[in-house]
Amino acid sequence: MSTARTGEVFDIGYQNYEGPREGRPRARRAVYKEGIRIALGIGRGGRAKIMPWAFIVAAGIPALVLALIAGTVDRLAGDFSAAIDLPSHGDYYGIASIIFLIFAAAVGPELLCPDRRDRVINLYLVRPITGTDYILARWAAFMTIMTLVTWLPQFILLTGLALGADNPATYLQDNWADTPRFLASGFVLAVYTTGIALAVASYTTRRAYAAAFIIGIFVISLPFATGLSQDIGGTAGEYLSLLNFSQIPILMNDIIFNENNLTTEEALSTQLPKITQIGWYAILTVVPFLVMWRRYWKLNP
Amino acid sequence: MTTLLAARDLRKSYGGVIALDGIDFEVNEGVTGLLGANGAGKSTAIKLFLGLINPTSGSAEVLGEDAASSVEIRARLGYMPEHDCLPGNVAAAEFLTHMAELSGLPPAYARSRAADTLRHVGLFEERYRPMGGYSTGMKQRVKLAQTLVHDPVLVLLDEPTAGLDPGGREEMLTLIRRTGQEFGISLMLSSHLMGDIERTCDSIIVLDAGKVVEQGAVTSFTEETESIAIEVDENREQLIEALKERGITPLIDGSALVIEGVIGDQYDLIRDALVAANAPLRRMAPRRHELTEIFERNGE
Repeated sequence: MSTARTGEVFDIGYQNYEGPREGRPRARRAVYKEGIRIALGIGRGGRAKIMPWAFIVAAGIPALVLALIAGTVDRLAGDFSAAIDLPSHGDYYGIASIIFLIFAAAVGPELLCPDRRDRVINLYLVRPITGTDYILARWAAFMTIMTLVTWLPQFILLTGLALGADNPATYLQDNWADTPRFLASGFVLAVYTTGIALAVASYTTRRAYAAAFIIGIFVISLPFATGLSQDIGGTAGEYLSLLNFSQIPILMNDIIFNENNLTTEEALSTQLPKITQIGWYAILTVVPFLVMWRRYWKLNP
Repeated sequence: MTTLLAARDLRKSYGGVIALDGIDFEVNEGVTGLLGANGAGKSTAIKLFLGLINPTSGSAEVLGEDAASSVEIRARLGYMPEHDCLPGNVAAAEFLTHMAELSGLPPAYARSRAADTLRHVGLFEERYRPMGGYSTGMKQRVKLAQTLVHDPVLVLLDEPTAGLDPGGREEMLTLIRRTGQEFGISLMLSSHLMGDIERTCDSIIVLDAGKVVEQGAVTSFTEETESIAIEVDENREQLIEALKERGITPLIDGSALVIEGVIGDQYDLIRDALVAANAPLRRMAPRRHELTEIFERNGE
């Protein structure tokens, strides 16, 4: 006859922590990691996941359609396939940039606004990080997400174009330069949208206000700058067309791919010297970053 | 005894408004109460020690370092603000894990500490629920838990019982006392409630209008300020006379006679006076001074 073993629960009381303490570097990584999780709705309810994932899917759909066209054009068009101008990596951001701009407007503020609205920021700043650590880590987190989100559709398109070719290996060999170009162009778009989105978000505790303002910057500036620049024309018109903020990263895309995009073919800003276009892009990237940084640097003890 | 906090001629003004007017004090191990009415400068003092704001002049030292310039030292501090500071759509376990990582703990340790700490504050079963659905008392406990999750040396609590019902207040004060006694973590808590401080603290610092008006051990403090309130069913005038004959002059406070600063054999004299006056005793209980009385006394 065996004796039944019974379990016992012991309350070992409060235990002091004897493990490693990794200080400020760990705290910075924690802010970065949490920024990634917030942007993708990880560790939050289902509603928090809807927005980012819906946009990620939406950004991928045009690429998927283009990839399917590229993959089936030979079979559908037969001998005429060579005459069809297949969509390229250089076209993609011109077609889909509005999705990325809205993604930045909708998701970016989520990384900053709730922390100030719920006053969680005060719990961050009493830990071993500064306001600068916090904002740089949040910026880096959203930058990472934006970069991956802009690259994902390009990889889908690349897959479609390669698989649609007679010999995928030969296609990749012949078009190897497209990959670093779209990586660079996606990065440029991500830096631009991240800076503007987080700069605006740093001035309000309401995500909806920030999103509306950012979308306003991109959407309203388009007809305003286009109409005004075409009315005025000439060199002044060329400079005024730089106020079309949604088009600036596409100008950089054109420079990187060394070709005009469908959406920039008629833009007067393309007439300006490339260095002017690059300089304007740099200003619109650096200034929002500095504005955002100053806003949080002031929170520094 | 280790000095955990030190204010040295610490002054903070906002424009023309002086929040702290050159205060000096030291806080050692144990539980210290920072007592004062609203606007006395308690929250300002705590924010200065946390380095959230810079002093106008003087210095605030934490664990031997200047609070305004030391970032790393904050890994050994905990802070519970008076206001709400919890994201509603995050579970307590997730939140505490993140807070532990923010204090420098590696992720695996942070997760383990988060679960342990939530158990200590009585929220283990609720740890995976989003905090937006928590009661005020539960939120206060999460706020306390996030101060403890990284096992700090010192925790600063700003009005920890604010907004709590009597039951929740009782639980919170018990938890604070346990944290100080059983967990071996030193605390400084601010309150405008004398009772909260007396129940939880070893020492006390009283602030009024940005100045330190009293400081010392709670026991000596309450000895000085303790009074006895006596209520009798009849023969109250005879009792007053009997007390006066024994050298005790009571104050009349409504239906009660109040005898201030009762010490030693005065209790025997009070007993004798009651017998001599043939006054049936209804109630005899210690009565603490109200905060305003402390300030009034100091003003005198």
